[in-house]
Amino acid sequence: MVKMLRDTVRKLFDEKKVDMVIGWGEGTLPLSATPVFIENADEADTLIWDERCSNNLAVYLTKDKRHLVKSGKKIGIVVKGCDSRSLVLYAVENQIKRENLVVIGVTCDGVIDIKKVMKRTEGKEVLDLRIGDKDITVGGRGFETVVAKKEIISDFCLHCAHPDAPVHDLFIGQPRPANEKADVYKIVDDFEKLSADERWNSMVESYSKCVRCYACRNVCPSCYCNECFVDQNDPQWIGKSPEITDTLIFHMGRNMHVAGRCVECGACERACPADIDLLLLNKKIAKEISERFNYEAGLDIDEKPALASYCENEKQDFIMG
Amino acid sequence: MIKIEKSKFSVFIQNLVGDFTVFAPVGEGRQSAFDEVADAESVNTALQNTVQSPKSIFFPQTEVLFTYNDGDVQIPEAADKPFFLWGVRACDARSIMLVDKVFGRAKQRPDDPAFEDPYWKAKLDTAVILTLACNEPASTCFCHWTGDGPFEQAGDLWAVDVGSSYLIESLTEKGKAVLERIENASPAGKTEAAEIDSLRTQAESYLGDLVDLSELKDRMKQMWDDPAWDDIAAKCVNCGACAYACPTCHCFDVQDEGKKGKGKRIRLWDACMFPLFTKEASGHNPRGQAADRVRQRFLHKFSYYWDNYGESLCTGCGRCIYVCPVNLDIRTVVKRFLDIDAAV
Amino acid sequence: MKNAYVPIPMIVDKIGIEDTAKTLRTFDLRFVNDADCEQFKYLPGQFCEMSILGKGESPFGIASSPTEEGILKFTVNRTGLVTNEIHYLQVGDKVGIRGPLGNWYPVDSFKGENVVIVGGGFAFTTLRSLLIYLLAHRDDYKDITVIYGARNPELFIYKDEIESWKQRSDINLHLTIDNPVDGWVHKVGFVPAVAKEVAPSSENASVVVCGPPIMIKYTIPVLVDLGFSDERIITSLERRMKCGIGKCGRCNIGPEYVCIDGPVFTLEQLKPIPDAF
Repeated sequence: MVKMLRDTVRKLFDEKKVDMVIGWGEGTLPLSATPVFIENADEADTLIWDERCSNNLAVYLTKDKRHLVKSGKKIGIVVKGCDSRSLVLYAVENQIKRENLVVIGVTCDGVIDIKKVMKRTEGKEVLDLRIGDKDITVGGRGFETVVAKKEIISDFCLHCAHPDAPVHDLFIGQPRPANEKADVYKIVDDFEKLSADERWNSMVESYSKCVRCYACRNVCPSCYCNECFVDQNDPQWIGKSPEITDTLIFHMGRNMHVAGRCVECGACERACPADIDLLLLNKKIAKEISERFNYEAGLDIDEKPALASYCENEKQDFIMG
Repeated sequence: MIKIEKSKFSVFIQNLVGDFTVFAPVGEGRQSAFDEVADAESVNTALQNTVQSPKSIFFPQTEVLFTYNDGDVQIPEAADKPFFLWGVRACDARSIMLVDKVFGRAKQRPDDPAFEDPYWKAKLDTAVILTLACNEPASTCFCHWTGDGPFEQAGDLWAVDVGSSYLIESLTEKGKAVLERIENASPAGKTEAAEIDSLRTQAESYLGDLVDLSELKDRMKQMWDDPAWDDIAAKCVNCGACAYACPTCHCFDVQDEGKKGKGKRIRLWDACMFPLFTKEASGHNPRGQAADRVRQRFLHKFSYYWDNYGESLCTGCGRCIYVCPVNLDIRTVVKRFLDIDAAV
Repeated sequence: MKNAYVPIPMIVDKIGIEDTAKTLRTFDLRFVNDADCEQFKYLPGQFCEMSILGKGESPFGIASSPTEEGILKFTVNRTGLVTNEIHYLQVGDKVGIRGPLGNWYPVDSFKGENVVIVGGGFAFTTLRSLLIYLLAHRDDYKDITVIYGARNPELFIYKDEIESWKQRSDINLHLTIDNPVDGWVHKVGFVPAVAKEVAPSSENASVVVCGPPIMIKYTIPVLVDLGFSDERIITSLERRMKCGIGKCGRCNIGPEYVCIDGPVFTLEQLKPIPDAF
């Protein structure tokens, strides 16, 4: 798989079809891959693809990195299913020209949830990781344990309907069709069972841990405003301290702003240094949108986004009165 | 140096709780932090180090500078009890001293107390810090690069976990006063000294290759326009995770919260990664590009602070490596500027 | 112990409107407490954080001279949240200041020397402080040359005082505007060009240059050509600031903090710093 990826990328450079390829390379920690920006065929060998390649690389096409797209360079980008949906979103929202990208899909069975790994090792530091076909061997000082992949893959990945990039130019392996049976919104089940008060309390508890580092926002491909409302100071919309009211306004502002646009990649949640389950509310909103408007973000370049279009026969039952 | 059985640890903490606000490592994983504890049972003694640094004890993420009510300004009262910190690692104890060089007497005005930060000083000057030797440094640790070590003595008291007991030595008068309160302690002797030596050797063996940082200060400056900065910035997403996890990052913002007549002036952590940090009212921003801000962070750590205080503003604790969402490893950045084989 | 974060209470004593667009106002503040007045010792070039509780603070160079006892003068350009609020102040209103902050123009080492002052636009504030100070100790200094430029005649600040300076024979005053205007009898042209034309002697002289960054940038080579050495070319820098006492970390240029190592720097100090201007 990795060899195929490297060969494909090398060929793209040899045939002068790309000026740069954004992919994942070996990180400095056993559980981390890191984004790499490859500019020639020789560097193709630094590419890797496995369950550690969690970053949504689409983020490198907008925000502070917009100059890459503006440079007119032909960019290749390696994508999981969710990452490819970000590219579709960008095309729909006129952030990129689809034809300037070479989208390289890879077969994805989900990425590692470090929290789950740490639970397995009872907090012990992982110093060694070996990825097999079905299992992953995790080792550290004085221990080694073999875990089935599905036990340490993120929950939302386990219930992903579009693991293989629905939109791509090249694909490493055989792309599988969408998994119609996937219970995509399973991670919101428990939350939905709570009463309104319980939901509120669980949110307050969860978001109280936020330190306002904005890692969630900055790794989020759907959050690409030139200036985030949180950063504006004249007028200043919200307080800047991690006081719960302001923190909730920040997160909910973000939830609402990515409503109907979130591709559910979970980058926010993985980036959070406070381990807040940030995808939960986004998933809940995505579920509502899916049920009401039969729309999932980032699947079809020609489809109008649910919250940017109007049909007369839409359900109106949310209008009170 | 004295020796106390771990079974007496709870008595030790209990003895302090009355006269001190005791902080110790609690929680797990990314939630692990130094927090106030009422008893020894809440202390997590199994952590290599807390993911959140102890800087927040002296420099809380949000701190009220004063409240105001129709022009009447009130400064919050200082904490009623001094702080006791149990189990700070040498890197973190040193980081507090590095920040103290900035928040304490200003080097530019050494004789003027008005240039001292009164909030930081009030907490730090009365605090007693117990440093616990690091028997098992993490793979992200590189304290030996920054002139430290897992068994470096720092703070007011220095302790070593030797399995069934703690060996504790006082390093300052404040530390000595605390040590004298401990009952049921036996003096430590040669056996214990040998134990410490072997633990130290083992701990040091866990650290990776040593990198000499002495050239770094000038190299980074000479390479001001080097494309290396663009390569580093290409990956960085400009969030503040590293700065907030860092025990020495001390930049802050000042904000007024409340109405015009009544409210509070607070200070809160800020980060040089954020575009607003330096953006002026005119719209001009001296560090407007992401690459400018990335360069600032590393130059502040390894060059500017060194110019001012003769050492780096990094203690090799490795927290930024652990929390970075894109695995932009500070060690790789350092190596890149020292021409040691490393791709960013 | 003095808490440097707590503002000193002041009262607005006088407000002067500097331009017809009313974006520039000069505030004379007096101390509420005599003890504060007594303790507030400063020199030209230093600055204060002016504080509107509930809105925040902004740094301003002190435009008054320590020889003008009992008041502090600030000229405020209306650009942002805090400056907007300052413009709403009325005579008699309370306001807080923190300071004096930063370093100062080396007025002692100027003694027995010629002093050249080069200023642009509303950055003339601390230069006014310097000039008033020098005039108050006129015998200590030799020739005083002032080159002051603004986009148009309207945008000079301290117009009344400029008139009085014109009358004096002990100041070489050169005013300039960017483009010709009917009735303007002084120079026309950008400050760097006028500095070149006036060509003040660098012999036994220091020059203080203060204005928009672009003006400073293009004036410095002219001054170097005139023979001023790097340690005798003095300027004042601006950066976004919060604490003003070297703690909060945002106003640095290289290893120097503008708030405490500056705002006054010599060209010699700034030369090794790549992003100073």
